Amino acid sequence: MSTFPADGLEPLPSLSDLSSDAGRKDCCASVYGHREEGWLLGDELDPGGEATTRRALELAAVRRGDRLLDVACGHGASALLAAREVGCRVVGLEYGGRAVQEATASARTAGLQERVSFRRGDAEALPFEAESFDAVLCECSLCTFPDKARAARELRRVLRPGGRLALSDVVVEDPRLSAELRGPLAVIACVGAALPRSGYERLLADAGLPVLAVESRGEDAALLARRVHDRLRGARLLGVERMEGARLATADAIELVARAREAIRAGALGYAIFIAGD
Amino acid sequence: MSTPAIPEQRPESGGSLGRTESICPRCKRLLEAELLDQGGRVMLSRTCPDHGRFEAVVYGDAARYREIQRFDKPGTAPLERQTEVVGGCPHDCGICPEHAQHTCLGIIEVNTACNLDCPICFADSGTGPRGHGFSLSLAQVESMLDAFVAAEGEPEAVQLSGGEPSIHPEILEMLAAAKQRRIPLVMLNTNGIRLARDPRFAPALAEIGVHVYLQFDGFDAATQVAIRGRELTAEKLRALERCAEAGVTVSLAAAVERGINEHEVGAILTFGVEHPAVTGVFFQPVTHSGRFRIDADPLDKLTNPDVIEAICAQLPDWFRADDFVPVPCCSPTCRSATFALYDREDLIPLPRLVDVEQYLDYVSNRAVPDLAVREALEGLWSAKAAGGSAPVAARLDCIACATGMPPELRDVAARGFMVVIQDFQDPYTLDVRKLRKCCVAEIAPDGRLIPFCAYNSVGYREQVRAEQAIRNGAP
Repeated sequence: MSTFPADGLEPLPSLSDLSSDAGRKDCCASVYGHREEGWLLGDELDPGGEATTRRALELAAVRRGDRLLDVACGHGASALLAAREVGCRVVGLEYGGRAVQEATASARTAGLQERVSFRRGDAEALPFEAESFDAVLCECSLCTFPDKARAARELRRVLRPGGRLALSDVVVEDPRLSAELRGPLAVIACVGAALPRSGYERLLADAGLPVLAVESRGEDAALLARRVHDRLRGARLLGVERMEGARLATADAIELVARAREAIRAGALGYAIFIAGD
Repeated sequence: MSTPAIPEQRPESGGSLGRTESICPRCKRLLEAELLDQGGRVMLSRTCPDHGRFEAVVYGDAARYREIQRFDKPGTAPLERQTEVVGGCPHDCGICPEHAQHTCLGIIEVNTACNLDCPICFADSGTGPRGHGFSLSLAQVESMLDAFVAAEGEPEAVQLSGGEPSIHPEILEMLAAAKQRRIPLVMLNTNGIRLARDPRFAPALAEIGVHVYLQFDGFDAATQVAIRGRELTAEKLRALERCAEAGVTVSLAAAVERGINEHEVGAILTFGVEHPAVTGVFFQPVTHSGRFRIDADPLDKLTNPDVIEAICAQLPDWFRADDFVPVPCCSPTCRSATFALYDREDLIPLPRLVDVEQYLDYVSNRAVPDLAVREALEGLWSAKAAGGSAPVAARLDCIACATGMPPELRDVAARGFMVVIQDFQDPYTLDVRKLRKCCVAEIAPDGRLIPFCAYNSVGYREQVRAEQAIRNGAP
């Protein structure tokens, strides 16, 4: 039996730290910045993957030459897609430093370094001047931010007047979602701190970004959860006892995802794209 | 404002699926034929001027039939062809210049004698005196192996079959002769009776390095009586025990017939993954050629998607239909397979960890991420593969490595359990277009490589049998 080495990764928070906001941010960035777990969980960690990204950019009417900010961009796949396929000028912002390095390397490999740059930063204190972007993309990450209202106000601040926010995120439609899925461990699985559709609409409206369109992507959520479940089962079967990035026993992770799948089937959990702007 | 989702693209249903050729099941005459979507199933239809119209189900799921055509890999030529085009396909086997594929798996039937009298036997073998029986000599088998090597260069898989090959007095020498020709996977297709009765047989196979392909149709007495004529569970279990003790790997081969043992596919698979000797299970819908003393309705024939559906219904925690990926070398409707990882607690099919379909798609305009991975997958999704063989382990390791699977996981990944569903054609279902791409061949004593389904459907089996009977001076 083995565990993945955590060489070169950022220091991990302890399990108890997960109840603190800073601890959650570190952990989330670490999980999604972990290469081996990336393999096991699939290259596309967002429901629907590239198809959802394309759809979000399309719904937000993002065009060639637009200045686009990708908040919590991970390894930069969506930022690169927007630069490559739409022709945007993109800045990718990510909390995890290692992911920023790898995303920067990917941009060079793809020959897109002129149009895409990556930097470290916190979504709750964006390191950009007001009104500096035509559009902002934020995929499957707002639900993990400890202070969502503050993050939403920051997104509003950096958008130019008439600019569009394309937000895709986990939607919790059932307030009775089980306590385990709501717990601190679940935050990193993009489930525990998600809002209902009306919650996102209110959050964004309060920040000055009224929601203009919503598209449900529930099928994508079901497929992603199924794939993560399969890959975690594969990881356990191949002898991986712990998800080091998540500081989580593989068996517990499997249980968590199995519950999430049940909730998706029951309609308590889903995924949606929100387009917002003034 | 809400934007409607993009509708999922579904292939149209109903109508023609293309023209091909087939034969009259009675007179074997070549006929124009059409493939039709009838009620969601694929039917092969043709009319013989003397014997009338014949229809048969060739694939139980028309939507899937359309969808899997993208796995049709362009053929590869063999090094040598043995025959000329004279009468036209399928009467010039083989391999004639019109054949579109080389041979992945060669089969040598070393005898016609058997120690069972099954009600179903495409080889029409048995225990009693037979007017047209034969038993090949070691020298004959050696020359047939040489013909296979000449055609393929470095063939990867050969299977000695019969009759019941284990009762041939020189079977061990024949198996050793195949190994001496550096064929990595040498299989013995057997009913297991000799393995059960003769304690020296499994160790002898282990010494040569033979993989056993064991007929194993289910556990119900009724199943065994219907397919094999008598109950055989105790002998099968004893044979498997001896293989496990000797270190011989085994693939279970289940003949599956509608209304007889479809309900047992899950139990056979579960037994297989848990048994220490078993490295794979092959499910074969029963071929309605040779001898079959059962009610077989060509309009209700069991086909690959029916078997896959039965597996998934009986083992929903382990398998989904899309775990079974068509084998691209032959026609994608002939054979579907998967590899599974198992540890006594859980089972995960490999396509859930690696996007196999993306690599084996030859039609959709998608970039293949890594050609070495495609090549390895082509070697796994192939008639030349059997669970536990050295080339299979090497290819699984290649995939684990190339897909970035961390080293700690790779050893385990190499222990894949293979599940195959393979439908062979009979005189009712024979589609000549599919036959041209067949990569499983019966090696005839004169060195011809005759596509397996042609051998059983067109008259080659009878021809070879008659020639050998005369040669052996049989009455």
